[in-house]
Amino acid sequence: MTNITRRHFGIMAGASLSALGLPILSAPSLAQGKPRVVVIGGGPGGATAARYIAKESNGAIDVTLIEPLKTFTTCFFSNLYVGGFRDYKSLTHNYDKVRKGGVKVVHSMAASIDRDKKQVVLAGGGRVPYDRLLVAPGIDIKFDSVPGYSEKAAEVMPHAWKPGAQTQLLVKKLNALKDGDQIVMIAPPNPYRCPPGPYERVSMFAHVLKKKGFKKSRIVILDPKPAFSKQGVFTEGWEKHYPGMIEWQDPKIHGGIKGVDAKTGEVKTDFTNYKPALVNVIPAQMAGKIARDAGLANQSGFCPIDAASMKSTVDPNIFVVGDASIAGEMPKSAFSANSQAKVAAMVIRAELTKSRAFPARYSNTCWSLIAPDDNIKVGASYEPVDGAIKASNSFVSQRNESADLRKQNYKESVDWYQGITTDIFG
Amino acid sequence: MRRAMPARRSATRLLAMAGGMALGLLASPARTADVEYGKHLSAECITCHGASKSDSTIPDIHGLGEAHFVEVLRAYRAKALPNPVMQSIAVRLGDEEISALAAYYTTAKRPK
Ligand SMILES: Cc1cc2nc3c(=O)[nH]c(=O)nc-3n(C[C@H](O)[C@H](O)[C@H](O)COP(=O)(O)OP(=O)(O)OC[C@H]3O[C@@H](n4cnc5c(N)ncnc54)[C@H](O)[C@@H]3O)c2cc1C
Ligand code: HEC
Repeated sequence: MTNITRRHFGIMAGASLSALGLPILSAPSLAQGKPRVVVIGGGPGGATAARYIAKESNGAIDVTLIEPLKTFTTCFFSNLYVGGFRDYKSLTHNYDKVRKGGVKVVHSMAASIDRDKKQVVLAGGGRVPYDRLLVAPGIDIKFDSVPGYSEKAAEVMPHAWKPGAQTQLLVKKLNALKDGDQIVMIAPPNPYRCPPGPYERVSMFAHVLKKKGFKKSRIVILDPKPAFSKQGVFTEGWEKHYPGMIEWQDPKIHGGIKGVDAKTGEVKTDFTNYKPALVNVIPAQMAGKIARDAGLANQSGFCPIDAASMKSTVDPNIFVVGDASIAGEMPKSAFSANSQAKVAAMVIRAELTKSRAFPARYSNTCWSLIAPDDNIKVGASYEPVDGAIKASNSFVSQRNESADLRKQNYKESVDWYQGITTDIFG
Repeated sequence: MRRAMPARRSATRLLAMAGGMALGLLASPARTADVEYGKHLSAECITCHGASKSDSTIPDIHGLGEAHFVEVLRAYRAKALPNPVMQSIAVRLGDEEISALAAYYTTAKRPK
């Protein structure tokens, strides 16, 4: 793909979409009126796709977005809310501008997908027919991946890995801590949403404790992984800003996470019993239920896609973007979801209205805040190579960078939040 | 140091040092730039640049002028400007892509 010039590609795409390696589908019959696209999930993946399809097709495609929530609070930047850098309201967005952009927004849960009839069945029983369906339900938490953990236990030991009440509960518990209280985080196994997220969150815990002047409180991270994203620079930052406060344990150190008990508040590893005042359990994850129930996921729990289009490898009328998809080397992030959504939107539009298609290109950058004005970043460009999404030109913050550079990173991240949320929600 | 020196000025100075020949080349972006392609490529830029204001750290890239736009992107591509975020974006842009983006962003309105 990389050595095909855009000019060649334009000609190929003009001739036939099979040049993209996509199966050719019969165009929806004109007798049925406009082609219909239905999008499940109004997060970064779904809302971006819905808006781009409506906008770029200038009304030639009928776009319906199905999302139960009337307002969407972003997980991204929720760590800044934990650290007291943002208020909750500044993370909350509505769908008014998505609607104004020509998308029909239906506030309902999609109960199932009838792939034979090409219809989405709503929780209330209604059916919404589609020519192309884009599925972006994000993740579900695998509660049973941590023994003793459950949806009920999460009311005491929040995961806060989905936005809303869980994040608020975590912040409430954090703010109630006294000096000397201990925090234990159980970090998730790969793959999970936002690889640097748990470690940014721990940084924000430490920032809050430090700001309160606490000297005796400690934070323990029990990690099922032997290494984590941006580890070198996170560790350096922890030593600099919070010396002695954060202890990261890999499986060699804790010997295995045995489980939690929500009643007693205990966390057990092979070697130690903890009874912390705050437990943050971030379990393993899988694609949202609707995608799994429709048979779009494989045994990994996530949905395989074609790297050049984000089209499901299971059903040629369905695209999967965002955290629910298996996007090769791309991390599960809002940035990735937004980037994938634009590729899917372009391909869907090309299939339905014969508009121009261009080669897929994706990108991602994840910024993480360690302490006030000390922000690190990691990113790359991505494109399909031999059927898989591969990274190129990747970069990551280095140790010993200047305070100026880290502060510039922070300001970039704030501008990015404004940029991407405007791109997603209008 | 980087912060005190806007990308615009540092890029220009840098290119001036490289000599007039380079500048002459850079001042004339391809005539046949494909604006529709530029618009398509701009979807990648919007994620970061889409809501920029005059005092933003991620600068507003609308109406920069075609020659300047091309010059700066080529400088990021050559890693003559330091920000790794823009280097990673620019490294995979060919001259044709840069011209198309420049043509699009010279005339495009900021999204509302
Ligand atoms: C603490 C934390 C920090 C993070 N920080 C960053 C960051 O700095 N940068 C970054 O890029 N990413 C970050 N992320 C990751 C980012 O939040 C996710 O990757 C992103 O939200 C994924 O988008 P999505 O559209 O795939 O899914 P989601 O955002 O989960 O959206 C899915 C939507 O689908 C809806 N839905 C689900 N099922 C159905 C159904 N059956 N019918 C209808 N609707 C349904 C849900 O209600 C939801 O609104 C962070 C995540 C966490 C937890
Ligand atoms: C991940 C975020 C991000 C993305 C995506 C991005 N940029 Fe940038 N861009 C930046 C940042 C940050 C700067 C400031 C860089 C610096 O400090 O030198 C910048 C600077 C620039 C400048 C210099 C402006 C000036 O006045 O000097 C141009 C031009 C530019 N970007 C164009 C683009 C184009 C074109 C795209 C899409 C192909 C793009 N950018 C995508 C983050 C981004």
